[in-house]
Amino acid sequence: MIAQVKAELLKVRSTRTTAGLLLGMVALILLFVLLTGLLSSVPSLSTAEDQRQILSIGSLAGVFSALAGVLLVTSEYRYGTIRPTILFTPSRPRVIGAKVLAAILAGIGFGIVGEAIGWAIGYAILSGRGITFALNGGQTAQLVLGALASIALWGAMGSGLGTILRNQVGGVITLLAWGFVVNPLLFGLVPSVGRFGPSYAEDSLVGLTTNHLLPPAAGGVVLVAWTALLAAVGLAITARRDVT
Amino acid sequence: MPPVVVAESLTKRFGEVLAVDDLSFELDSGTITGFLGPNGAGKTTTLRMLLGLAAPTKGRALVFDRAYGELEHPALRIGSVLEATDFHPGRSGRDHLRMLGQSAGVADSRADEVLALVELREAGRRRVKGYSLGMRQRLGLAAALLGDPELLVLDEPANGLDPEGVRWLRDFLRRFASEGRTVLISSHVLAEVAQTVDQVLIVSHGRLIVESSLEELTARVSGVVRVRSGDSVRLAAALVAESLKPTKSDERTLLVPGATSERVGDIAFAAGVAVHELATEGSSLEEIFLQLTSDGQS
Repeated sequence: MIAQVKAELLKVRSTRTTAGLLLGMVALILLFVLLTGLLSSVPSLSTAEDQRQILSIGSLAGVFSALAGVLLVTSEYRYGTIRPTILFTPSRPRVIGAKVLAAILAGIGFGIVGEAIGWAIGYAILSGRGITFALNGGQTAQLVLGALASIALWGAMGSGLGTILRNQVGGVITLLAWGFVVNPLLFGLVPSVGRFGPSYAEDSLVGLTTNHLLPPAAGGVVLVAWTALLAAVGLAITARRDVT
Repeated sequence: MPPVVVAESLTKRFGEVLAVDDLSFELDSGTITGFLGPNGAGKTTTLRMLLGLAAPTKGRALVFDRAYGELEHPALRIGSVLEATDFHPGRSGRDHLRMLGQSAGVADSRADEVLALVELREAGRRRVKGYSLGMRQRLGLAAALLGDPELLVLDEPANGLDPEGVRWLRDFLRRFASEGRTVLISSHVLAEVAQTVDQVLIVSHGRLIVESSLEELTARVSGVVRVRSGDSVRLAAALVAESLKPTKSDERTLLVPGATSERVGDIAFAAGVAVHELATEGSSLEEIFLQLTSDGQS
């Protein structure tokens, strides 16, 4: 299994896809932090919740981590490398398990980079504008560690989704449509249901206090449950399906 | 020695279509077998079942006495190439080999060895995007060789190779088999593999229609020999004495079915008849192959 995870990590590193995603992620986080930090008025950056919002912009890394997870699986189907992969490792659970783990590890990488940039710039802007830091140690830890854990799990959820859908474009579109359209709409219209979506579970895990969110611990459980569900469905489908 | 590959009543049905129909065969070690049939005959589906990529509807396939999927690290015993194009275009050939090798516990240095073996050492660090079809074929073969296997399974490996590449592949497979290892190679063109294989399995519409050594097949297909001679009466008598059945085409020409030109020439020489013209008509291996596989349709 360790060998298979190593192989999957090499797949992540050996194309330009990952570098492209990292670059896109850094650009997007920089843009959002700078816009939020420089265009907001001082009073609207002063409460703990305001500061959580700007300092959690780094968790946009979750989108890229999830995309990397989707691509780790779907590019194998797109380019046919799934054939040699399965010929070398006929155990589907081992291949999928390794992909999920590799996506988690890659996600931690995305998370560290994203969070570091988000925090560095965000904190610099707050202190540069003379705004008092409103979060205590526990809240800060929850914000950072919760985001890192979520970003890592987003990678796993992406690879699970990719395993289920196999189609690259379909996987990417499904992910973005769910995360940016369907889930927010659902949360807006029926918050008692929408809060169980992974993005809102993540919000509760990192300590955001938006109305209707689940308690932080429940958010963590929901994120893990999503990950397990997607991986299990992907595995059940793959175990039954011939590789053509 | 037990057979390397055993297919027992292998059957695959896709909805209404019976792609592989009750196929049984065995392969002994040290042999090169051509797995032949027109496109759509069920060759690739059979290989997929053999390699654990597809589950048979009925029957089973064993490699080294086990189902492929039950072997721990099958790539260390069986090397296979199903498609010549199974690469990420943005990944280097060497990284492609390394990622596969790592999953089977093969050292990275082995990737460099097999790259050298298929003469891709120079190109190994370039992205596959820039490879010619022939280079991709060889990279696929390199991946199959990573585990230093005892059995090679290649699906249409000669597709897209230039004549030099075909010759290279033939020599390579000969060398491989001479070490007591086994090769199963599919093709829809008999001529492509005729000089490489020891025996042939011919499938048509999912069924095995011929299983024979190449010599047997050649003997079976030897066509009609046309011989023009100085004395066709005496030559005819000599041929009949060798249990051939010559027929007269014109005053000086005989047609001899079921013989080779060598044999007719030798008989004429032994009988002291001057041969003025000697030719095999029709029925090249390829024509017989086409005839056999189209018979399968009726």
